[in-house]
Amino acid sequence: MEKRKVVKGTTLVLWLVISSLLMTGCLGSREIDDLAMVMAVGLDKGKEPGTIKVTAQIARPGDVRGQTGAPTAGTGQPIWTASAEGRSIFEAIRNLARYSSRRVFWAHNQVIVINEEVAREGVSEIIDFFSRNHELRMRTWVVVTEDEASHLITTKTGLEVIPGVSMDKLFRYSEIVAEAPRTDMRTLQAAYLSRTTHPVLARVSPKNRQISAKANGEFGSNPQVELSGTAVFNRDKMVGWLSTKESHGLLWFVEHVESRVITLPCAGQRERSSTLEMKNAKFQVKPVYEKGKVEFDVRVKAMIDLVELGCPDVEDQYVWMQQAEKEAADLLRGEIESVLEAAQKRYHVDFLELGKVFENHYPAEWRQMAQSWDDAFEKAQVRVTVEANINSPVLLHKATKSRK
Amino acid sequence: MKVRITNGMLMGLVVNMVYAKAIGLTQGIMAREAGSDMWMATILSTLQGMAVMLITVIVMLRLPEKNMVEQAALLLGKWGGKLIAALLFLFFLGAFGTVMITFVYHLMDYFLPEVPVIVFILVGGAVAVYAVYQGLEVIARMALVGSFSIIALNVLVLFGSIYQFDIRELLPVFQNGFVNTIKASRHNDTDWAMATLMTALILPLVRDRLTWKKSAPLAIVYGGLFVLQWPILEAGVLSPEMTGQYIVACMQLARSAEIGQFIHRYEMIMIAFFATSALVQTMMSLMCACMSVSHVLGLKDYRPVILPTTLVLGGFGYWVVLDHGRAMRLLSDYWPPAALAVAFGVPMLVFAAGFLRKKKLAAARKEAEEEKQAQMRKSS
Repeated sequence: MEKRKVVKGTTLVLWLVISSLLMTGCLGSREIDDLAMVMAVGLDKGKEPGTIKVTAQIARPGDVRGQTGAPTAGTGQPIWTASAEGRSIFEAIRNLARYSSRRVFWAHNQVIVINEEVAREGVSEIIDFFSRNHELRMRTWVVVTEDEASHLITTKTGLEVIPGVSMDKLFRYSEIVAEAPRTDMRTLQAAYLSRTTHPVLARVSPKNRQISAKANGEFGSNPQVELSGTAVFNRDKMVGWLSTKESHGLLWFVEHVESRVITLPCAGQRERSSTLEMKNAKFQVKPVYEKGKVEFDVRVKAMIDLVELGCPDVEDQYVWMQQAEKEAADLLRGEIESVLEAAQKRYHVDFLELGKVFENHYPAEWRQMAQSWDDAFEKAQVRVTVEANINSPVLLHKATKSRK
Repeated sequence: MKVRITNGMLMGLVVNMVYAKAIGLTQGIMAREAGSDMWMATILSTLQGMAVMLITVIVMLRLPEKNMVEQAALLLGKWGGKLIAALLFLFFLGAFGTVMITFVYHLMDYFLPEVPVIVFILVGGAVAVYAVYQGLEVIARMALVGSFSIIALNVLVLFGSIYQFDIRELLPVFQNGFVNTIKASRHNDTDWAMATLMTALILPLVRDRLTWKKSAPLAIVYGGLFVLQWPILEAGVLSPEMTGQYIVACMQLARSAEIGQFIHRYEMIMIAFFATSALVQTMMSLMCACMSVSHVLGLKDYRPVILPTTLVLGGFGYWVVLDHGRAMRLLSDYWPPAALAVAFGVPMLVFAAGFLRKKKLAAARKEAEEEKQAQMRKSS
């Protein structure tokens, strides 16, 4: 009995010692004040051939607080931007560590900005690095800019204190304007690995939009990052841009479009216009395969509200709404046809996921033409039918007109 | 008095024994082989698992007081029983290796890349040893907690990723052919194999034998449903190509999920809810290996062999996990044929032996019945 007690006691002590050694949480620990939290990263070509320049926008938490409330100790700058070059992304990042006083930490990175020149040479290395790294999120936004990515990273943009956060928010609410695809690392990697689709990335560029608070007479004195347009890729290499109009058309194919603004010029007075807001829409692509020919029927049904009637001659807004339906439908159809033209005739790549749609409907036929899909896609006839229903003037029963 | 667990606990153990590996590593391998049919392969595998579980339970019901090894010893002789026990030990040695791959790669690759592999093996092994010393009932109770964690994890991941789901990625069905999909399902079959062979060893300790036939296959159905959500979401959210790109596919889904702007990093949630299931796998693999060793050595209690068995299993686990390439080769190339041969072969062999030696089986059944009545008389 006594012996058992001793054994039990010894076992307990052993367990406690082992537990205290193993469960301290010290292994691999990183203190928060030792970390340099990257909020945005830019990738440009390096000065030396074959090198890449990585620019990291790093948050300074103390000064982030100081900007919104009473100033605290520090420089007052909410971000610290640093760049380094290397033969690979990882080497460049390691080179950043040469002068960063804290360990570079990627878990909070919001956006990856790729310079056009880098994108045209290929992004497979970028996809591999950022998807392989466990610190990064798969929902990190990925964009292309024709400007220097390092310039864009340093641009103070939006309402948020940290520009990286502003760019994140820009994407989160971009579905309202629907002018660029919402591309993150997950969608980029999926499109790159796909057997049927080529990637697209959102385009960002700095535009002089902000009115300076210090010199408010100078309109547009400060640049702001604008999300507008799309970069098109053939496998991993960028081949060109899509305009805003083409990007509107693209989003039907790659995202779920629910809302967007449609502006129609007034009949007789082209300098004035009325505005519609799309509230809901159904998009359907149906492939047809007959006699070795690939065809697609694209159908759009949009439910639209009248949000601003700027045409002065309108007597009955309900009549105007009925007449405007055809014009709105033509506009939407024109956008879809423009992106089809770009994909089939200008870039010769299927970034519209039509290959996936065809494979799902005709799996046996797909197996035969999978290798030559880009050729078949180029020749495919696509019929676009758009039905626009403007069925709500929102709050007003009558057009706003002076009764005098 | 022998430790007894309820049918509900058995179901919890079966679900936990399958879940952790089946949702991640298995799905990654199946995505590489079956593409968008990975979810079909999971369904087919669940059906196969149900069939094998039913066969196992039918075999066990012939002599409900004895486990598969004891039955084999009775029907095939002492050395036949030892051979079956040795086979089961080898099976659970391999199973422990696959469980360690799951456990370590989730924690090490996504959270603690600087921590040496040996620490994970020591921690996992220590928890398993403690639980096995405490006995089956303790592990079974933990499995019930694990089942609730599994439900919570499934619900959270569903909420966090459904908005990115694209059903087109699941189509066309049987994209790479029916035969290929069946072939790919063998990887998930190895997960069910762990559950069926575990059941073969612990079923006599489950209380209500009248419902064995119902509860054991039903556990496979529940486990299958919990697992099935993952290939559907992985294919629909990540795409099959991207799922096949990763070693631990479920963590990739967790990395892509979010609820609004409030719950960002699902990896933490994933580990918090999935750890119980992974640890139950570790514990049961060790326990079944210990039971097998005790049968080989002819011991009545498995406790004296816990430490030596842990050293062997831990050593093997460490060796496998140390090299990612070796671990993936074991999982995708060597483990399926070995595991399925044992999981299907052993119950069929014991079944055939019982069929050929009906008289011996009837005599053993009569003896067991008499023993039971004697015990009842004694207690009354």
